Amino acid sequence: MIKGGRARLRSRRAASTLLIAGGALVLVGSAASIARAAIARDAARSRWEEMEAGRAVTAARARVDGAGGWSTARGTPVARIVIPRLRLDEVVVEGVSDDDLRAGPGHMTGSALPGDSGNAVISAHRDRHFYPLGRIVVGDTIITESDRGTVTWTVAKLRVVDAEAAALHTSTTPLLTLTTCWPIRYFGPAPERLIVEATRIDASK
Amino acid sequence: MRTWLGRGTFAAIVVFGAATAEAQITTVIETPKRTTVAAQQAAARREEVAQDSIARITMTGMKEWVDSAAASLAIRPDTGTVPASDTAAATRRSTQPATQRSDSATATSGRSPVKATEFRDGARAPDTGTPVPTLAFLGAVMVLAGALLRRRPTPAAARRSRR
Repeated sequence: MIKGGRARLRSRRAASTLLIAGGALVLVGSAASIARAAIARDAARSRWEEMEAGRAVTAARARVDGAGGWSTARGTPVARIVIPRLRLDEVVVEGVSDDDLRAGPGHMTGSALPGDSGNAVISAHRDRHFYPLGRIVVGDTIITESDRGTVTWTVAKLRVVDAEAAALHTSTTPLLTLTTCWPIRYFGPAPERLIVEATRIDASK
Repeated sequence: MRTWLGRGTFAAIVVFGAATAEAQITTVIETPKRTTVAAQQAAARREEVAQDSIARITMTGMKEWVDSAAASLAIRPDTGTVPASDTAAATRRSTQPATQRSDSATATSGRSPVKATEFRDGARAPDTGTPVPTLAFLGAVMVLAGALLRRRPTPAAARRSRR
């Protein structure tokens, strides 16, 4: 009887040790992922600052060479997005792959750059860079900076669509579309997407 | 005694009369053969019907193909006579929308879709989900469960361990 009780206690302790060790491993893995994202975000921000510093030189070179200005290679910073009311200030990198989105909001390849005529699509993780988008409302101001200049936008439309729905469309006028997974607070793969559409108010070089 | 005798006789009939019975049954088995033929006929009929429906599907596909080809030719009114090479090009163009249709069908049917990473008209919003919150929650639950299991043994188990 005593032996059985002790064996049960021992197995209980073993199970608890396993659970704690496994849980700690999973937690460390999550923390490592967050730390890697923070490092990538800092790297993108310092790269952006370097590019900002050389902006005048780049613009002058583009004028002389007729080249398109900044590089749009995947993972390189292409713009900065600020939503003052939500205290959101992020550097946008080119591409929306998992690696790109780790560093910051991603500019969807093939869409217009903010400030160009057309639909500029920027996406980010709901649990990281675009977490504040859960509080965005129609009429909020968005400011973008890129080699096309500083543009001020106003949120015109908010939509929640199915993850598989055709949500992005071309536009003949300048349009800024921000996307993230929806609902913002949700465990597992989010079933929907939040689409924020903003129209340009003014632009300055 | 009589009962035993009767039972023995019955058993002997069952054992030794099996050959005769088998012969009887063999003759009776002929009927299922006829049903097998009927089943084969039914299977053949089913196959015919299936082939018919396949043919119908093919014809529907052909109709769509012809319609789309006609549409792609209709948007080029300046071409009076279409050379053979152009027709081939038109065919290539006309097959493109069909591919897109099948893509959207895949998307709606819920099969694992390809991640949308490049912008095009009608594209899906990129997948911006991460497993980090779920993993963190799972890890926290595991640690908590482990701690609870370690800290609170049942009273009976505690009594037993004290003994």
